[in-house]
Amino acid sequence: MAAARAVLRRGGCCWVALSQCGGWAAAGPLCGAVAYSSVPAVSSRAGKQREASTRRTSRPSEFVKTHVPPRTERMAVDQDWASVYPTAASFKPASVPLPIRMGYPVKRGVPLPKEGNLELIKIPNFLHLTPPAIRKHCAALRDFCTEWPSALDSDQKCEQHFPIEIETVDYISAGTSIRNPKARVVTLKVKLSNLNLDDHAKKKIIKLVGERYCKDTDMLTITTDRCPLRRQNYDYGIHLLTVLYHESWKTEMWESEKTEEDMEEYIWENSCSQKNALDTLLQIKASENITNVTKEELLASEIVKNYKKSVVALKNEGETENNMSQYKESVKKLLNIQA
Amino acid sequence: DLMGVRLAGSQVGIQETKTNPLVSISDEPETLYKRLSLLVKGHDPAVLDSYEYFAVLAAKELGISIEKVHRPPKNIERFTLLKSVHIFKKHRVQYEMRTHYVCLELKHLTGSTAAVYLEYVQRNLPEGVAMEVKKTRIEAIPEHIQKPVWDTLPQVEETDIKS
Repeated sequence: MAAARAVLRRGGCCWVALSQCGGWAAAGPLCGAVAYSSVPAVSSRAGKQREASTRRTSRPSEFVKTHVPPRTERMAVDQDWASVYPTAASFKPASVPLPIRMGYPVKRGVPLPKEGNLELIKIPNFLHLTPPAIRKHCAALRDFCTEWPSALDSDQKCEQHFPIEIETVDYISAGTSIRNPKARVVTLKVKLSNLNLDDHAKKKIIKLVGERYCKDTDMLTITTDRCPLRRQNYDYGIHLLTVLYHESWKTEMWESEKTEEDMEEYIWENSCSQKNALDTLLQIKASENITNVTKEELLASEIVKNYKKSVVALKNEGETENNMSQYKESVKKLLNIQA
Repeated sequence: DLMGVRLAGSQVGIQETKTNPLVSISDEPETLYKRLSLLVKGHDPAVLDSYEYFAVLAAKELGISIEKVHRPPKNIERFTLLKSVHIFKKHRVQYEMRTHYVCLELKHLTGSTAAVYLEYVQRNLPEGVAMEVKKTRIEAIPEHIQKPVWDTLPQVEETDIKS
């Protein structure tokens, strides 16, 4: 019987001969002495139990699947693996010539072998995506790719020629539906320095836009999701940008009523600081009995210009050591204090 | 058996010829993607590792520059339920769901390259793994924003655009 089995292993499938052998199931050459609890140790069984075990493993003897040697035995080491697993397929233990084990082991045992191992079948495998297979796929796909224009190699050049950035998100997941309602959101980002705006237009667009403008990065961000489709949201975003741009160039009648509180930065002309300084100087001149000193002359003088510079710096940039010392000097000069 | 294996190989391994008849060139200008950010989410970190290797190799082979590949920290959602169907409030059972992330950031892709790469990578997305693709497209300023329209049309004082 052992001799017959040896013949079978070498030659291939001889189903009839094996059925005449009866009994012993050739459980494959890989199944050595494995210590897991499902298969009983055959050597220690008495006659009746032996029959039972063999009946279980080789039942029915006409279906001799277990006697066909697996494909792995006929695989050469340098075979084309991409033809064994060309597409994503579940793990087939008879087609994968690797001695893989997976599962939680019994005490003082090893994980279960690959034959009939459900854990190996459940987990997604990447047997169809070996590096040579990936290279083959990419070689075929390279014809459909285009090159990035070499003139746009840095971020600054990209921004210079293509200032508008549009962010869209696609979602892929397994489920009953491929649609995701978050996919219709479109975000437009532009730097205001790239748009053709003059001073008034820039201030007006910042006021119109409110929170969507970031002063540090000079970036205007418009997020649209009020339309059901992504293309509609994109069109709406562009429409908003167009409207903002053109509206900011218009000067309405009520804009002349802009008060000091609305100003973004401090302007010295026509401010109370200028009025007070001029009044003080005029009073000083009057007390010294020098008349016919006009406001324009005072404004054009060095002292007043210094004072103006220091006040503007203080208000716009905040209080720094430099600014404070400059202000001190200019006030001293203005009021002729030598202290 | 060897014959069977060879036949299967030849069906799969057909390579495109030099003058590829499937490639069609159109006149419209390419869309340019400044950045493509792929966030892959899954429950099994081993699967995500393999997928990351595959995506990185595919990007390298197709000539796409990879900016950064990083793994954001995992997110564990835990909840506690009663163990029994009825009463036994003191005996509970706890479940958790772990979501691991892998983020792949690619830069400077054209529209065709992005379409090819994304289709390849998404077709081979394993079961049980989700993906979010954030595309940052760059565009030139459209013509109607180049100059204010009030210069060219002095008569039209009010705009017709009512949003």
